[in-house]
Amino acid sequence: MNTTQFLLTAWNWNFRAIVCCIAGLAAYLALFRSIRRIGWLLGGLAVLLLTLMSPINALADGYLFSAHMLQHILLLLIVPAMFLLSLPQTVSLAVRPRGLGHPFIGWAAGVGAMWFWHVPALCNAAVSSQPVHAVQTISLLLLGTAFWRQVIAPRDSERLSPPSAVVYLFTACLTCSVLGIIITLSPVTVCSIYTMPSMDRLGMLKTIRDDWRLTPERDQQIGGLLMWVPMCFVYLSAIFAQMARWFAEPENAETKAC
Amino acid sequence: MNEVSSVLSRAGLLTAEQREHWKMAWLATVDHKRIGILYMVTGLVFFVVGGVEALLIRLQLAVPNNTLIAPDTYNMLFTMHGTTMIFLVAMPALFGIANYIVPLQIGARDMAFPRLNAYSYWLVPLGGILLHFSFLAGGGPKVGWFAYAPLSETPYSSQPGVDYWALSLIVLGTGSIGTSINFIVTVLTQRAPNMTLRRLPLFSWMIFVNSFLVILALPVLNAGLVMLLIDRRLDTHFFLPPGGGSAILWQHIFWAFGHPEVYIVAIPAFGILSEIIPVFSRKPIFGYEFVAGSTMVICFLSLLVWAHHMFTVGMGRTLDLFFVASSLLIAIPTGVKVLSWSATMVGGSLRFTTPMLFCVAALAQFLLGGLTGISHAVAVLDWQTKNSYYLVAHFHFVFVGLIVFAILGAVHYWFPKMSGRMLSEPIGKWTFWLMVIGFNLTFILQHFLGLAGMPRRIYTYPDLPGWGWMNMAATIGAFFMAAAGLLFVWNIIISLVKGETASDNPWKAWTLEWATTSPPPHENFHKLPPVRSRRPLWDDANPDRPDPVVGVRWKMDIAAPEKNKAGVLTFIVSETGFFGVLILAYLYFNASPQAGPSAHDLDLYKTGFFSLCLFASSFTIWRSEVSQRKGNYRAMSAWLAATILLGGIFIVGQGLEYWGLFKSGVSFSSNLFATTFFTLTGFHGLHVCVGLILLLIVLGLALAGDFKKGHSPALEAVGYYWHFVDVVWVFVLTVVYILPLLR
Repeated sequence: MNTTQFLLTAWNWNFRAIVCCIAGLAAYLALFRSIRRIGWLLGGLAVLLLTLMSPINALADGYLFSAHMLQHILLLLIVPAMFLLSLPQTVSLAVRPRGLGHPFIGWAAGVGAMWFWHVPALCNAAVSSQPVHAVQTISLLLLGTAFWRQVIAPRDSERLSPPSAVVYLFTACLTCSVLGIIITLSPVTVCSIYTMPSMDRLGMLKTIRDDWRLTPERDQQIGGLLMWVPMCFVYLSAIFAQMARWFAEPENAETKAC
Repeated sequence: MNEVSSVLSRAGLLTAEQREHWKMAWLATVDHKRIGILYMVTGLVFFVVGGVEALLIRLQLAVPNNTLIAPDTYNMLFTMHGTTMIFLVAMPALFGIANYIVPLQIGARDMAFPRLNAYSYWLVPLGGILLHFSFLAGGGPKVGWFAYAPLSETPYSSQPGVDYWALSLIVLGTGSIGTSINFIVTVLTQRAPNMTLRRLPLFSWMIFVNSFLVILALPVLNAGLVMLLIDRRLDTHFFLPPGGGSAILWQHIFWAFGHPEVYIVAIPAFGILSEIIPVFSRKPIFGYEFVAGSTMVICFLSLLVWAHHMFTVGMGRTLDLFFVASSLLIAIPTGVKVLSWSATMVGGSLRFTTPMLFCVAALAQFLLGGLTGISHAVAVLDWQTKNSYYLVAHFHFVFVGLIVFAILGAVHYWFPKMSGRMLSEPIGKWTFWLMVIGFNLTFILQHFLGLAGMPRRIYTYPDLPGWGWMNMAATIGAFFMAAAGLLFVWNIIISLVKGETASDNPWKAWTLEWATTSPPPHENFHKLPPVRSRRPLWDDANPDRPDPVVGVRWKMDIAAPEKNKAGVLTFIVSETGFFGVLILAYLYFNASPQAGPSAHDLDLYKTGFFSLCLFASSFTIWRSEVSQRKGNYRAMSAWLAATILLGGIFIVGQGLEYWGLFKSGVSFSSNLFATTFFTLTGFHGLHVCVGLILLLIVLGLALAGDFKKGHSPALEAVGYYWHFVDVVWVFVLTVVYILPLLR
């Protein structure tokens, strides 16, 4: 199969995901009257469906570690953030008991999801076993939501203050970078299942190795680099947004010149 | 030497009662203003040293096939020139200016930790002496300022020059970390009541943000230097490929520090420009928020993109690509700054005094340096120009064109505040024009030399078309700059002796340092003007049209954490960087099994027991803090003693393990497992020992009844450190002892 054929045919219709998305959209419309922020939701759903059904998914399913990493980043960082941004400002996301809402829990959820699913055994299991893969997908979405809730919860009062949020995001960025650096420079294989795809289901292996020139080593490097560099830019953009929030001077807020 | 003391006291730099013992009054000072001046004077002294080295280099290169300086000496000269200019000139000068100005700008009485401040300063002369002592000990380092391995290793540099170089950099780095912790804590805890974080003058803001960069980046270098020294003195192979080490790892470590380092010296210069340009444009800075925010972005980006210094190493196309993209991004926040400064000048009533001239030139030259920087971010261009004079020209446009010019501007700007005397404007303008002409003559031509193929770091060159005259012109330019330097020093001396007296606010500036006398009294301020916006003195002078009020919106705006705890926490951040590198190095070298001793020779059960003791000590110190809060001082001392005992048991346990390994013939240099094991656990053990000493001091204070007099944060602050040491051990235990069992 050559690249064009692959891009055209490697779509899988994941009906469970489509049903979930439609249900989510219906619930949103039923719960919230205002559709001012629905664009974020639609965007989030689109990214989610693309991640789960497009050729990215086909590649992540046993062919390319880097495609898996891209999926991972989208599910953990992009989709949950867009979902959170779609919620009207009146929605409270407070959790009980209050200890669970501690920033450290959110931080550990976001960073832990990265480290946990890249333990070699788990990384391999998520590719070879369908149930583990489903658990991984759902856990990434949930952990990502727990992570972003601290920074972009709909209610301003439930968010961290900008300086704390900068520290929160920056340390998360650094911790993920470290994992990215390890994966990039490591002489050992993180996810051995990608080095020799057991079944070349789509007949893509030759194209990947010969046309795309992606050896397993280079594939892992790209995966590590995706985590090291572009993923940090997600955090960095959030940091920039926090700076904007920090310096914003609302026109009619009751600011006092104490 | 009575003339010196009389000049100093006439300039207001010495009080009447200090005239008798003026040397002690300066050498033993803990006043941030004097320490600031000491920093700057030290920077100036080394500027002369580094400048002479530069002139010798230029003399050698003035004509083709020159034999003035031997190749070996030439290598030593450019190594010393680079190291000196960065670590002993740019950093001390900028730290000195910040030391003097930041407490004044935020309305503080002094830095948060005056003694730490003095300590950090005195490490600079110590580091400088160590570095130059190498000349007496068999020759200076000849390995370039980045000391690439394996050239810097014993087989290729057997003389002790590199050892002195590494030691000196560790000393200087430690001093920089100390002073940066001090800046962070000062800005967080010592601000005047209404000086909220969002009202900070840009210079102070940038020093604040920059200090985080210092405490994150310098420990990385320190870890690398420690490994290099262990390689050299203990015969190990961290960076020596024949023994299984990796020379590329040194490059990664060095540039993980080295790239942020560029910004560590550039951001304070940005801060200087952001202060001076608005004052002499008679306009507030254009887009304060963007200048402040982009500084933060530059800081974070700079930590991520170091590998663009290594395009020519052969990291592979994949890595190159990612780092091309990310490095190019830095152009955005820096571009924002350049636009902000330019827009500040547009439509302003510009006054081209000497400080302003230096800043405008710095802006223009930095723009050029930034543009050539972008060309280095593109790997394919970089392959052509790296290690040529094009690169030399690029970084001199940043280091001299921006940073030295900004420093000179800052000195001309703040000299009246520091001494109570104006610097002579005519001499200042001469200095400026000599500098600007000399600088551009030297370095603009080097772009072309580089493109024509002249490599850097060669002691001479053949007589190729164009090379001779361009090099001669560069040498002439260097002497112009030397003349400017002499004029600058002359200006300072003559102005100190008989300069025009400066008023409190000679430039009609707007930040708080101008609200006190020139020079400021020992306690800095008698009375502070009200602070409602970012330009308090403008509001004071123009009550009818004040700046818009910058409100108090966030708790962090006004929060002032306890300074000792803030200090220890900041210190912990920097230590995390240090241990992070050591742990990563351990992982890297132990990823695949090797011949000789391995993790399987370690006794997990014994270590497990001693680890439990260490973890238990975290519990006991927490109990001790609880007892202190309850006012039960006997229980507090008892828990403290238990902590020390448990920590002591851990250290004894580590000692036993080392003893067992040594007895079975394992040494530092057995293989890379042994090397990384001893390095990592050894440094952890060292930190435990330091913690024990701190705990013993606190226990002594507690037994002497010090804590009964009132709440003291000492125990809690030391407690943070102790918990940190325990957390590090969690990681070390996992990585060294447990991980190998899983394979």
